[in-house]
Amino acid sequence: MSVRVNPDLREELMGFGGDDVSACMNCGNCTAICPLSKDSTVFPRKAIRYMQLGMKDHLFRSPEPWLCYYCGECSDTCPRDANPGETMMAARRYLTSLYDWTGLSKRLYLSAAWELGLLLFVALIVGALFLFLHGPLVRDHVELTTFAPTAWVELGDWILAAMLSFFLLTNAYRMSRAILGGEKVPLSLGLREFKTLLIHGVTQKRWQECESPTRWLKHLLLVTAYATMLLMVVVFLRWFQTDEIRSIWHPTRLLGYYATAILLYVTADAMISRLRKREQIHKHSDLTDWMFLILLFLTTLTGIFVHAFRLADWPMPTYIIYVIHLMIAVPMLVIEVPFGKWAHLLYRPLAVYLTTVRDKMKAAPAGTQASAG
Amino acid sequence: MSNRKLSVDALVIGGGIAGLQAAIDLGDQGYQVLIVEKAPSIGGKMISLSKVFPTLDCSSCICTPRMAAASHHKNISIMTYAEVEATTRTHDGFEATVLQKPRYVMEDDCTGCRLCEFACPVELPHEFEGGLGARKAVYVPFNNAIPQIALVDLENCILCGRCEKVCPTKAINFLQEPERVTVEAGAVILATGYTLSDMSAKEQYGGGRLKNVLDGLQVERLLAPHGPYGRVLRPGDGKIPDSVAYVQCAGSRDRSLGVPYCSRVCCMYAIKQAMLLSGSLPLVDITIYYMDIRAFGKGFEQFYQNAKAMGIEFVKAKVAKITEDDQQNPVLRIEVMEEDGRVEERTHDMVVLSPAVLPGWDPSRAVLVDTDDEDGFVHCVQPKLAPGYTSQAGIFVAGNAAGPKDIPDSIVEAGAAAAEASAYLRGIGRRGYEPEPASGDRSALVGEVT
Repeated sequence: MSVRVNPDLREELMGFGGDDVSACMNCGNCTAICPLSKDSTVFPRKAIRYMQLGMKDHLFRSPEPWLCYYCGECSDTCPRDANPGETMMAARRYLTSLYDWTGLSKRLYLSAAWELGLLLFVALIVGALFLFLHGPLVRDHVELTTFAPTAWVELGDWILAAMLSFFLLTNAYRMSRAILGGEKVPLSLGLREFKTLLIHGVTQKRWQECESPTRWLKHLLLVTAYATMLLMVVVFLRWFQTDEIRSIWHPTRLLGYYATAILLYVTADAMISRLRKREQIHKHSDLTDWMFLILLFLTTLTGIFVHAFRLADWPMPTYIIYVIHLMIAVPMLVIEVPFGKWAHLLYRPLAVYLTTVRDKMKAAPAGTQASAG
Repeated sequence: MSNRKLSVDALVIGGGIAGLQAAIDLGDQGYQVLIVEKAPSIGGKMISLSKVFPTLDCSSCICTPRMAAASHHKNISIMTYAEVEATTRTHDGFEATVLQKPRYVMEDDCTGCRLCEFACPVELPHEFEGGLGARKAVYVPFNNAIPQIALVDLENCILCGRCEKVCPTKAINFLQEPERVTVEAGAVILATGYTLSDMSAKEQYGGGRLKNVLDGLQVERLLAPHGPYGRVLRPGDGKIPDSVAYVQCAGSRDRSLGVPYCSRVCCMYAIKQAMLLSGSLPLVDITIYYMDIRAFGKGFEQFYQNAKAMGIEFVKAKVAKITEDDQQNPVLRIEVMEEDGRVEERTHDMVVLSPAVLPGWDPSRAVLVDTDDEDGFVHCVQPKLAPGYTSQAGIFVAGNAAGPKDIPDSIVEAGAAAAEASAYLRGIGRRGYEPEPASGDRSALVGEVT
């Protein structure tokens, strides 16, 4: 098979925060040291080779960047200091932009002005909606459900959820097509392996295979906290957003405290680690990595204030901080989930699922041949 | 402490093959030369090698005559077990302070009969054998050491006094003191050689804890006719290895270990050892894991092709990790790049690492010359036209002190450094490389040769 060398891909990837892939001399140390690189999916060297040669189609069809969990051993031991771990991170950003058919993801990754501008734009829309459409301001005590009627907020939630799901799922569909190379998956196999998708989505258990188990634990906790919060504000908002001061043992309060504590701790921990640059995974930070953490941290922080002001029964501060809270949370979700770093919550387990399906499809005809022969 | 004074034309620091060759070349021209060697014997690394590439000559057979020639030369004197501590520039050359470390054996009285060694009850890992064999706490450095004088390793000596009792010439003297000798010399040649990076430097390769993982110099001893076991056995359990793997660039060309450069000799010595192992163990399977084979010297490529034709397997892969199975067999983890790129663990009976060649000595404090920041080797101010020139006029460099190189190249450089030193001593400067005006002023020492 002939390959047309395309030197532009190397520079294009550098825009996505990757180091210069031409530093790599293809010794294969990274692939051999990688605890996750096995069976039919070996990385990072092959993916880096695609980048060096400009084999964009091959890279587009590779699930490998999503199977990399950035343990960092490859970068620690790379004889050329070529940062294979960060190169895979850049590949994930690049792939996210390729899967996204709207083209927005690419602009967000390549331009800080687009990223920050769009976040601000969405924040202003949210602010404007509240400015013009908020309910009556009850000033003698906190009545959040009057200021922001739960039914309306819930409607907003559902519209948002539908929109985000639409973009994320259409992008994920493009990813699936690319990885399966257009091959038809037998329905029974597709359904049978669905558990792989669920298990990996919920547990992220591939991370256990990295040398440091604490990162997996932190990530798992973060996911539980994030999922808890998301469920409470989208599905169970009518129980979660209330003016009633419930007993401290009430489930919504307990779950809320659990999720808040974890979100605060893990985001703060990750930001400190990114500043310290000791752990390989946190040595290189793109603007999008920072935004991801900062927005999540601020959402949590403002959420705490909403709760505190409500308990203190300060009406105006509660309403104001509530609007600010949403002006951070909504843009974060709109921008990051379908077009940014958060898309990995679907792409990662999907990649595991797709490679499992692909391998079984490949193995099946070979098996029948063997039995026939 | 007495302060003996010696006056010579040239001071050669380092008594390995480069230093010996430079000293002999100068001595033959009638110059008085002093060799200062930090080890208890001259011969350097070469005397510990089995055979040399690409001719497969016996290393001792080439090196020992050079050692003997230097030690018997009427114009050459040798101080072993001595170190240069400081050098200053004087009005007509240099003045070096040399520390003669105490052997606790009177050099003039010892006959090298080794009765002390036989009587000593202490057994220690033998440095000359790469830690594989044993030596006593009082010992002659090795069989063909020059000079054949015993020394006491006082740190490990239990002071039982048996050596003292058996010595026929009463040469043991525990009261010997270190002695400082002032050496006046017109010119200096640095031939301080190299050392291999430590096996513990790379944690992924077992950090030096795996018993059947050796370095290249240890295997030279296994292959030498008078080596520690007298035959090739793996040290962990004494088994005859059926499969041996070479791991190339196990220290060099690795920025994560701070050694970005190529050590130049490892490809060739691995190929050479593979050939020799095939000779000693006709049934052994040998695999060389390499990043690139660099066979650049005269006759080297043919040597490499011969090895391939002999059935030595060459696998292009950087070994990422070495672990051990429950039989102490080293297990290598590689990406099989020449096939489908799968990751594979391969078990061998014995693994030989090719560590990095590092500078043998940091001369910058004791000898005024600059070293390269990047690697610590002596800085060559004219690497192309006058490779022997250092940042100090009158101080020349040869062999591995200036950077990794093989024996033929070291000998060529030694000859060149001797010629440069000779010209310097006779006041003949090369056009464009005039030596600095001699001066007692220390500020003159800072100046570089232009």
